[in-house]
Amino acid sequence: MTINLVDVTMRDGNQSLWGATGLNTAHMLQAAALTERVGFRAVDFTSSSHMAVAVRYFQNNPWERIRRMRAAMPTTPLQFITTGLRFIAWQQADPDFMRLVYRRLQANGIRRFVMLDPMHEVPAVIEAARIIKQEGEAEVMAALTFTLSDVHDDVFYAGFAKALMASPDIDLFYIKDPSGLMSVDRVRTLAPAIKAVIGNRSLEVHAHNTLGFGALSSLEAAKLGISAIHVGVGPGGDGSSLPEAERMVANLIEAGHDVAIDRAALSQLSDYWQRLARAEGLPPGTPQGFDASFLRHQIAGGVMTTIKRQLEELGLGHRLADVIAETEQVRAELGYPIMVTPFPQMVMSQALFNVIGDRRYAQVSDQVIRYVLGKFGKPTNPVDPAVLSTILDRPHAKALIAEKDFPSMADLRKTFGATINDEEFLLRAVMPGDQVDAMLSAGRSRASYTPEVAPLIALLKQLAARPAARDIVVERPGLRIALHSGASL
Amino acid sequence: MIRRLFIANRGEIALRIIRTARRMGMVSILGASEADRDSVPAKMADEVAIIGPASSAQSYLSVEAVIAAAKAAKADAIHPGYGFLSENAAFAVATADAGIIFVGPDISSLHAMGDKLMARKVGIEAGLPVVPGGAAADKEAARARAEETGYPLLLKAVSGGGGRGMKRVDAQQELDSQIDLAMAEAQAAFGDSRVYVERFIACGRHVEVQVLGDGISAIHLGTRDCSIQRRFQKLVEEAPAPAMPDDKRAAIELAAVNLTRHLNYSGAGTVEFLVDAETFDFYFLEMNARIQVEHPVTEAITGVDLIEQQLLIAGGAALSLTQDMIQPLGHAIEVRINAENWQADFRPSPGTVTRAAWPAGPGIRIDTHMTSGGEVTPFYDSLIGKLIVSGATREEAVKRLGSALEQLSIEGVDTTRDLHRAIAVDERFIAGGVDTRFFEGLAA
Repeated sequence: MTINLVDVTMRDGNQSLWGATGLNTAHMLQAAALTERVGFRAVDFTSSSHMAVAVRYFQNNPWERIRRMRAAMPTTPLQFITTGLRFIAWQQADPDFMRLVYRRLQANGIRRFVMLDPMHEVPAVIEAARIIKQEGEAEVMAALTFTLSDVHDDVFYAGFAKALMASPDIDLFYIKDPSGLMSVDRVRTLAPAIKAVIGNRSLEVHAHNTLGFGALSSLEAAKLGISAIHVGVGPGGDGSSLPEAERMVANLIEAGHDVAIDRAALSQLSDYWQRLARAEGLPPGTPQGFDASFLRHQIAGGVMTTIKRQLEELGLGHRLADVIAETEQVRAELGYPIMVTPFPQMVMSQALFNVIGDRRYAQVSDQVIRYVLGKFGKPTNPVDPAVLSTILDRPHAKALIAEKDFPSMADLRKTFGATINDEEFLLRAVMPGDQVDAMLSAGRSRASYTPEVAPLIALLKQLAARPAARDIVVERPGLRIALHSGASL
Repeated sequence: MIRRLFIANRGEIALRIIRTARRMGMVSILGASEADRDSVPAKMADEVAIIGPASSAQSYLSVEAVIAAAKAAKADAIHPGYGFLSENAAFAVATADAGIIFVGPDISSLHAMGDKLMARKVGIEAGLPVVPGGAAADKEAARARAEETGYPLLLKAVSGGGGRGMKRVDAQQELDSQIDLAMAEAQAAFGDSRVYVERFIACGRHVEVQVLGDGISAIHLGTRDCSIQRRFQKLVEEAPAPAMPDDKRAAIELAAVNLTRHLNYSGAGTVEFLVDAETFDFYFLEMNARIQVEHPVTEAITGVDLIEQQLLIAGGAALSLTQDMIQPLGHAIEVRINAENWQADFRPSPGTVTRAAWPAGPGIRIDTHMTSGGEVTPFYDSLIGKLIVSGATREEAVKRLGSALEQLSIEGVDTTRDLHRAIAVDERFIAGGVDTRFFEGLAA
């Protein structure tokens, strides 16, 4: 049967491998036309945090980025991933505010939304999908976020999907495995269990290749009637990203499937991303060795490295195993939050406090207090009652209970003025004003990017930044250019 | 979807098209004359097909030669650029007959806008205001038309374009001799002696609107002002049109979109208007059914790659841009650098460019095919490059224009650089919103 591909390079690939700060607007615009030519089912393009990175890190207008990509991509839908009722800030926003967010995203060319609620709260997902549909014609795909826990079994996922089937606003589903935990055996039971309850709505698979499972479980899923596999192109695939696209295509064809893409264009696109990764010093995703312990603790590489370093700085490097064990315990006590941002950092920091402190939960971060207060949504499993009362039995918890929610739309309009345009208003409402100012004064983003020229431009910028330099030497194998300032006419 | 794109043009526009085609993953095939065999576009194209000798009549203007080369190259589309065969309906028909996509509007739109009479008729049908006037088949009819329109008036070739054969008549006693001249020139240049008699708006501005359509929906990408002209040849273009009330600008843009819709227009086009510099009343002149020389100023303020849009639409895609998505930012100015001696009646200056140092930096774009050692041949027009500057405000763009022109240095041939330096410091230009008499004032 025919399998489609969804390209995650610019959003999830960029996030999993390059901290979401790898790619700017020009990098993406240069890839747009080729990406369109490949014929992906959709492109996993942006999220509210990627929009914030565009402003903060690159002074790129994120709305303009969407518009210009859409202009170059008339057929391939650009996808926006959202937890539903949040935009850049961690708090749940006023629904009217989110309505405006969804309106502007669609007006600028987002044509597919992923609803990712790590808590799997049915009403929250349905409500957000309803608002999206009222504000445009984009399709809505609901995430079944995979994890290994006592509660997340096949029946749990099928039940969640079935409950969402009540909404006419959910067009399709996907199994989202952000940590790459899903084995071939598990997909054989999970995919059919979900397909059995979703009628003729499609099911896609998004399995990170962190342990090497993603490529295999995706291939297995192709046999089970899924409609599309999510992949990263070239250096944007593999590692903790999604399986690499060209390899996936070859494997699908080997298994007898048709793949609905232009392979020559995919090869050109892969070549572009490779040249870009080299020029920008972005480490390409590489196939990773299997790590059995990961299935137990589910701590992503980045978080693990940070905790290890923190322990070593405290002279407690030898306690790492204790912290890992404590992480599993904390996760269970907090009701098995799925280990996707921001929860891995939250859970593991708590485990660290518990191990190095006098008593467990003596020290608790604001984020954990907010989490148990339900400010991130309702935990999938109830929080352990003893832990809950320990966490809330402190004065600071009272302060956070009283903490102001996201301001109302009317108040925000009052603060930022009624005449400011909607897109600028949405950014100002959730981001520091000086960052928005800097973005606006930077003007329009560049439209093109040539990897071969980028290092030269960087060199020239560095030289221009040092007008007082008296000696400049450029050296490379077989070439040495030395410029020394001296007397001149 | 277009895979192999044949470019039936030369110079900077050929190079401009090659760049976008490459980014879109297309194979570019340049149809070049013998004289352009070693040009920069020929070096940059993936493939080169020689279409004929230097003479454009036997190469760039030869429908048969271009179609034969495109067929031999197995092209699935032809981009005609501007000038040459770009608005030639017979060429578009021949392209379609050869089973090749013509990157341009439907043949019906080319016919509708192909001559000024038809364009005027269609404009009136679409509800656009037009300048008083009409066609005249002979001298007698021209005199009668002149009675209606009054003086000063303009005589234009019905089949003409680009200002060729255009005459201004200020008083009745000049009319007869000017009609003879205009008709003779029209016959020689376009094989059609009919002239068009039109009221001349003495204090007029040339304002045009860039449009895009896919046959169903239509949008505009704002205005351009091309009032700085010499003998109806544009010298300087800017976007948006400066010093114009917002409501008048919006009305012109709306009129352009109405015409585009009326034609079920597909592709990129430019709707030209004559705007009274004092009242801002506007009159539809014609629609150019192709990419324009001055398209980069629109690209600079909108961020839209117009060549890409042409290729997408020609390839069968629906327009993905909406009017809401067009959010112009800042101001852009383009000056045309021609190899001409502007102080000797703009005499062409062919030869070898011994040094071409084009400016670079933020807010500066150069569209050129000319590098050091390049040849300016006597066979074609004298445009060797375009300097496009942009800034957050018009003031910033004007300032940048001045400094970029200082950096620009072309040796070996005469250029219009110093003319543009004079324009850049002219108080009327700095103030913005000049009319088409600007150039006369500059010379004085």
